[in-house]
Amino acid sequence: MMASNSGLQLGVTLFSFTNEFHSRQYTLEQLIAKVAELNLGPGIEIVGFSSVRGFPVVTDEFAANFKELLAKHNLKPACLGLNADMYKNPNKPMTPDESLAYHEAQLDATAKLGFPVGRYQFLAGTDVIHRLLPKAERLNVKLGLEIHAPEHVNSPIVMQYRELYAKENSPYLGFIPDFGSTARRVSPAFISYFRQLGLPEALITLAEEMWLSKDDPNNPTAKIPEFQARAKAAGFRPVDIAECFIVFGLFSRQQPAAWREIMSQIVHIHGKFYHFNEDGSESAIPYEEILPVFVEGGYNGYMVSEWEGHFLCDDGGFAKVQKHQELCRRILAGCGAQNAVTS
Amino acid sequence: MLQTKLIAENGLRATSTGFDVEVRLPWYRGLPLSTVEIGDVVLNGEAINPASVSIEVNGKTRLPGDLATLYDERWYVLDSAMLHVSHSELKRGEQYDVAVSVNLRPPYIPGLTWAVKDAKRLTANS
Repeated sequence: MMASNSGLQLGVTLFSFTNEFHSRQYTLEQLIAKVAELNLGPGIEIVGFSSVRGFPVVTDEFAANFKELLAKHNLKPACLGLNADMYKNPNKPMTPDESLAYHEAQLDATAKLGFPVGRYQFLAGTDVIHRLLPKAERLNVKLGLEIHAPEHVNSPIVMQYRELYAKENSPYLGFIPDFGSTARRVSPAFISYFRQLGLPEALITLAEEMWLSKDDPNNPTAKIPEFQARAKAAGFRPVDIAECFIVFGLFSRQQPAAWREIMSQIVHIHGKFYHFNEDGSESAIPYEEILPVFVEGGYNGYMVSEWEGHFLCDDGGFAKVQKHQELCRRILAGCGAQNAVTS
Repeated sequence: MLQTKLIAENGLRATSTGFDVEVRLPWYRGLPLSTVEIGDVVLNGEAINPASVSIEVNGKTRLPGDLATLYDERWYVLDSAMLHVSHSELKRGEQYDVAVSVNLRPPYIPGLTWAVKDAKRLTANS
């Protein structure tokens, strides 16, 4: 277990290496070895349904090999991503009992692989998480709700979980910020991608302008149908609109300081990033403002670098993650974080 | 861009009953087969009759329409599936334009249908 005063430690989610893994250039073992070689740890996050064949079933042999592999490379299991596959039948969502069982199986796998945190999704629902808590306590695995754009610490759905957490007051219930929700603009990586696809410039402009317009704090997803309707009314093709609306689901504009409100309940962080300016700063997500909030707030835990660029290009993730961690180390050193040099 | 990885490189094979196309799941994690819909298969501009297509995944061959109820069987992200197509024979060593489309409905993103179309010029292998 991590010492309680270890500060903000870096790591990486293997999701950042989706291109390498999907193309079969790297096996899971090779990804982990490369992460160690490039010093991109010590924290490791995996997505269960991606990294583990047969998940949520994990064989004894797989679990033993996995734990041994991390130990051999001095890496630490930080978090495992769970999925709320509520619509595995697209026409009929799972019942709460089915969803509970689905999450329980994944939580068992999380514990078996040695991960201290299971990252869960909004769709799980407060009822299922409430009923999952005794098992989480028994397995010694924290449940972390990922707060992903367009949601924020005060959005209605997050408030439902905050109320549950206040009532239960358990250290096994926590939050996982995704920094895409603390962005300043739509990443230029997406703008370039849209241009590369040949989307009309006026459609891209409409998306950017609407993204920058005032948000309704009580309805964070409101801009998605609004954008779709306005773009349709302006005569853009449905296929182009479908490509473009995703920016409202990947980036949102919460102020970095807002994370303070839930700081003591944060159990893990997704250091989302896409693209850098020439000076090495992230071009849409202001890490210079975000990281000091966590250092000053006394956050103890991992922030894993999460590059989602496989969505946009065929580049590998290793060089990108290196660049992200250089940026984060520089910022952490600047705000006197204790771990800035060593990890 | 996983969208361009749907048809595997070098993924066309001539068979005695037509041809096979090797396809990959264009998503970062394994998905229930019930959330995968096989769309069009096109060879040199000829739209293949859906009744002539079957899909082999996890060692089993089924009709594309049969995937819809396989809620608890997943297509793992590293595995290929094979589309078996009944067709007149292809000439081995010749190049063909192959196009395939699939719709994915990731079960944790309600309402999203991820439409993927891929087209590649491939040599028919033995």
